[in-house]
This record gives sequence, structure tokens and C-alpha cells, in this order.
Amino acid sequence: MNVGDKLSAPKDQILKALDRLRKNWKIVGPTEGPDGEVIFREIESSDEITFNYVNELDPIKRFLAPPTEELFRFRTNGEVKLELPEPPPRQILFGIRSCDVKGIQHWDKFYSGKFVDDAYFARRNNTVLISLACNEPLETCFCICTDTGPFLEEGDGYDVQLTDLGERFLVEIGSERGLQVLEEAGFKAEAASAEELAKRDELMRQCDTKFETTAFMAKGIVQMTNGRVRDSLWEEMGHECFSCGACTHLCPMCTCFDVQDVMEAEDCGRRERCWDSCQYAGYTREASGHNPRAATGSRIQRRFYHKLSFAYIKQDGHHGCVGCGRCIIACEAIGLLDLPAVLKRLRREGQPVEVTQVPTE
Amino acid sequence: MSGSNGNGHLYVPQLAAIVKITDETYDTKTFTLRFVDDDYRKNFTFKSGQFVELSVFGAGEAPFGFASSPNRREDFDVTIRAVGRVTNALHAKREGDLVGVRGPLGNHFPFEEVMGYDILFVGGGIGLPPLRSLIEPMLEAREKFGRIIILYGARTPADRVYKSWLVELEKRDDIEFMQTVDVGDDSWTGNVGVVTTLFKKISVDPSKTVAFTCGPPIMIKFVIQDLLQMGFDGDHIISTLERYMKCGVGKCGHCAIGHKYVCTDGPVFSFTQMRALREQW
Ligand SMILES: Cc1cc2nc3c(=O)[nH]c(=O)nc-3n(C[C@H](O)[C@H](O)[C@H](O)COP(=O)(O)OP(=O)(O)OC[C@H]3O[C@@H](n4cnc5c(N)ncnc54)[C@H](O)[C@@H]3O)c2cc1C
Ligand code: SF4
Ligand code: FES
Repeated sequence: MNVGDKLSAPKDQILKALDRLRKNWKIVGPTEGPDGEVIFREIESSDEITFNYVNELDPIKRFLAPPTEELFRFRTNGEVKLELPEPPPRQILFGIRSCDVKGIQHWDKFYSGKFVDDAYFARRNNTVLISLACNEPLETCFCICTDTGPFLEEGDGYDVQLTDLGERFLVEIGSERGLQVLEEAGFKAEAASAEELAKRDELMRQCDTKFETTAFMAKGIVQMTNGRVRDSLWEEMGHECFSCGACTHLCPMCTCFDVQDVMEAEDCGRRERCWDSCQYAGYTREASGHNPRAATGSRIQRRFYHKLSFAYIKQDGHHGCVGCGRCIIACEAIGLLDLPAVLKRLRREGQPVEVTQVPTE
Repeated sequence: MSGSNGNGHLYVPQLAAIVKITDETYDTKTFTLRFVDDDYRKNFTFKSGQFVELSVFGAGEAPFGFASSPNRREDFDVTIRAVGRVTNALHAKREGDLVGVRGPLGNHFPFEEVMGYDILFVGGGIGLPPLRSLIEPMLEAREKFGRIIILYGARTPADRVYKSWLVELEKRDDIEFMQTVDVGDDSWTGNVGVVTTLFKKISVDPSKTVAFTCGPPIMIKFVIQDLLQMGFDGDHIISTLERYMKCGVGKCGHCAIGHKYVCTDGPVFSFTQMRALREQW
């Protein structure tokens, strides 16, 4: 077996391989929740896995950056002592969808660079991504507009990509890490046949025709880059928004966090970070009380500037949406402020507006 | 690795001892900090304009600008106003107590680049400390710079920091130093009025002067407005921007202005750069 191989195996072979890996790995996979919904969680056996799902509402990023994460512990009795958390377990994220892999790829880039976020990479470097290409989108999915699915191509960040061919999986090995884990599991498979490869492409083409949600990405990028949106539109959206932060918490692309100290006794405690949202009023409130984004509308504008402006695209190498549709499902202002809905509203905005330049007050 | 704090971890600070606490005003103190680890201390350098993330374990972490000369290698100063959780916890500390320090963070003021120029400093209230980290090394290399003009404004005489240093500045004849307060008191015989009223009392040649300003956002706005009117070029106006910060290393998102991050792209910006920002500061 080699990186780049496209193999074919009966489904239960993959599941058996997973069971063999359980000894040394934490396996996270899709399971059926109490209301028939899908929940990704640690599994004991591959029997718990369901394949009857497209995506979970909770974002997969939680297995790489938990909603609350300990950075270090401190003791302050006499001498101050700092202790690092236990190293995270080796884990396999099994069955995650293409959009979430692309989201993780963004996190990898964003958390490296000049300042490497070692807390994130402690988990990430111990994680293998086995993704499952989507033969069927949800009605809220639009990865076809964001170029992040429904199937991934080489270099898109998966370690192993599976495609459901019916009785069998097509197994694409995307990285050294993917290869190693398959070898460790004693996984054996033959090369996929020409018909199987053709079937994969056919499934992809069929899926492409099934999308129901559209996102006007191109126009949104132009609008957010040129600042052609009238302030009153952001104000209107501000009136509709509950500032609940659901859109950003669930978004696979959103990375923001807050940091706080939590005391556990008089002389010891921990510093932790937790997911934060640019949609909260307190997010930019300075110690002086001055808040540059006090208006709700200015925070929505911020969210879309980050997701769509060319300045950010240049910086990150891509726009800030993977088309998973979670914000459509989660937004309390139903149908008004999710990404496709806002793009619909931006699309009709026309006239160039002079960018306000300070100082004017 | 950048930002690894000598321990390989982006968010785990180095321990530093508070070796001296100096009262500045009723709500502001200067803390002199010295790293506990000998090797780390010996190798530690920073540049004027940079900042640290300071931890009081149990209360949290907050950003503060270096307030002393980078040429001082054994220890450094931060001058801190008590306004909230971290700053109040810090004010409750005593000499000898340990705090955490991550840094140096952020970009820095130009130094070599402005040699030969006249230098104009405009500081407001708690904005003077970061400027002091630039004023001091400039005074130590006095002959490398043209005129050095320092204007300092505070709300009241009691709100002025570094009162004995200000007296020293007043005595020097190789600099021009003026201070003012918004509201005077019985013993105050100096200027009264906001800091920009001092502009009328000086004459500068904007083409050969670089202005540095630091203070509350509203002051910075007025100062820049006046400097532009005096004929300053945007590249010759250098300011620091303050934003609510958490991580200090470009990851948490809090300090973003447009697509710039004050913690890594700043906190020092020229007005030309500020003007290009796509969001109000
Ligand atoms: C680059 C940089 C350099 C700086 N340099 C200095 C310096 O040299 N000296 C200095 O003194 N300061 C400096 N500051 C400012 C300093 O960082 C802040 O004063 C500090 O972060 C305050 O932290 P705190 O925990 O004490 O305050 P917090 O407890 O965070 O809050 C302070 C105040 O904010 C308000 N507030 C906070 N949260 C809320 C809320 N949820 N609802 C309502 N009100 C709220 C409250 O009025 C509170 O009193 C600098 C800032 C930056 C970004
Ligand atoms: S903006 Fe909405 S649709 Fe796009 S990745 Fe984030 S949650 Fe998914
Ligand atoms: S303070 Fe975290 S990104 Fe700047």
C-alpha cells in the first residue's frame, strides 16, 4: 500500500480494522442519538456506528479544540508551580464529512505560522481523519458553492477518504498518517477496479445535481471586499439578530476563543480557553468601557468581513465558509442571518459606498 | 520558536518576580519585574513599543506595554492602572510575589529609522509609559536625533504618572518638555487644557519631524487631526492602538480591526496604516 492508492474493500473489513485499532486508539465515529439524529462520540465497537447520516449539528472541531480546554494548571502556595495537562490520546475521527475535513485544514493553517498553537497541535498531531464522501447532501448543504465537497480530492486534508459504493468502500489513502494507521490495523485490500473508480465519479456527479441550497459566494466576496453594503442593511440585520453566537460556535471555520482562570481551591486552579464569539457584545469591550463593535449590526458585518473579504481570502488562502449549512439550522433568526441568507441580501446591494475614514468625529 | 516563552508553549508564561512597586497616582503603580529563570532573563530582549501578557494566577492575563528602556537588561517596568479583575489583583500584590509573563509581543516603534529626525511625543494619561520605553533610549542616544519635544497631558495634576521623572525632564535643556492638565488644582501653576492646546506653543517642521502618540482613543483622534492640519504626512504620525486582547499572538480573534490583528500587526501603526484599516478604531 502507498499514499495515493485507491483501494476497494468490503465494508466490514474497514469496520473490523477499526475494531482492531481500538486497543491503541480512541475511535470517534457517527452513532445514532436518542432522537434518531447523528452524534459523533467515542465508540467501543464498530457496531455502534451508523451510516444513516449526512452531518451532525455539533461541529467536529470539538474533538481538536474542545469547547473548554485546559491550557495549564497553577499552584500558588509558596512557590508558584505551573503544570501542563496530560497529553491527549491518539484518536481517529471516523466518518467525518468532507466539509469538516476542509474546516480542520483551515485550523491547521491558522494555528501554525509565526506562532504555533502547541495546545491545538498536541491533539491534532495525534489525530487521523478518515472521511466519508457524501453521496447525498442535506437540503441545507452547499459545499458545492464553497468548493469544499461533496467529495475531496488529493491534498484536501483527509488521511483516508471512503466512498460508499454499496457493498464496498472505495478507500483512498491521502497521507502517510493514513497509510500507517491502515497498516497498523493489518488492513488489506485490492486496487479499485476501473468500474469502481467510474462509479465513484458517477456518484459525485449525481450528488452535484442534488443540492437545494445556493450561496452567492462570488457576489458576497465582491460586496464584502468593496464595502458596497449600506450601513442601514447591517443595522436592520442587527435588529433581527439575538447575538446568541450559535452560528460561530457551530461553524467549522470559526476559531475564536476566550481565556480565563478558574480556581479549584484557594491556592490552585487552571487556565482554560473556551469558544468565544465575535457576535457577543462583550467580545471587543475594552477595559475603558469603549466598545468599537457595540452595535449588533457591526458584529454581523464583522462576521461576514472575516468570511468573505478578499483581504482575508488572501491571508488564509480561501474564504471562511465550507458550506456545511450548520448556521442555517442553528440561527435563531430563522432564514435571515445564516450565510446563504445574508448573501442573498447582499446580492441586491448595489451602489459603492465610500469607506468611512477616520478621524471624522 | 517565536512566542514559545522559552518553554515551548505558546500560552504558558515564564515566572517573574515583582522586585519593586512604585506608586504613581491614586490608581496607578509601576511594577519592576525580573524573570526568575537565569537563562531566560539573560537572553530576554524587547523593543520599545512591544508589550507583554501579564498573568496574575487566579485572576487571569492582560496586555501591558513595556514602560522602561530596552537597554535595561536585568529587569523591566510596566505601569498599570487598576481598572478591573487582573489589574486590581496585580495592585494587591507585594514586592517579592511572582507573576507570569509572556512576551515580548507585537511589533515595535521605529528607532534607527527615525534617527536624524526631530521627534515629537504626545502622551495622554496612562499613554506615557509606552512612550517612556522609547523616550529613554532616545535620550541615551541623544546626538542621533534632532529636536526632542515631549508633550504630556493628564486629567488632573494627580493623574500624572512618573512625577519625579517629569521634574527631571523639565530640567533638561536638550529637550523641549511641556505638560498640561484638563483641570488644575490650587497648587498647579502650569498649563490647563487638553494636550492639543500645547501645539500652539511649539513650532515644528512637519517635513523633518516624526510624531509619536499614545493615549486614550479619543485623544489619539484629536491629536492626529491636528497633526494632519499642521502638515504632517501619514507616515510621520506613529500611534499605538488599543483593543481588547486575550491571546496576544493572533489566535483568539479579539483584537482584530478589519483583517489586521493589533497584537501581531500592531500595536504600533502609522496613520497611513490606520487610515487603510477597514474598521473604526
Ligand atoms: C497593547 C496594549 C498595551 C497596554 N498597555 C497598558 C499599560 O501599559 N498600562 C495599563 O494600565 N494598561 C494598558 N493596557 C490596557 C490593559 O490591558 C487593560 O487595562 C487591562 O486589560 C484590564 O484588565 P482587567 O482584567 O483589569 O480589566 P477587566 O476586568 O477585564 O475589565 C475592566 C473594566 O472593563 C469593564 N468590563 C469588563 N468586562 C465587562 C462586562 N462583561 N460588562 C461590563 N463591563 C465590563 C468594567 O468596567 C471593568 O471595570 C494595554 C492594552 C493593550 C491592548
Ligand atoms: S458559515 Fe455557516 S455554512 Fe459556512 S461553514 Fe460556517 S456554519 Fe457552515
Ligand atoms: S489578542 Fe488574540 S488575536 Fe490578538
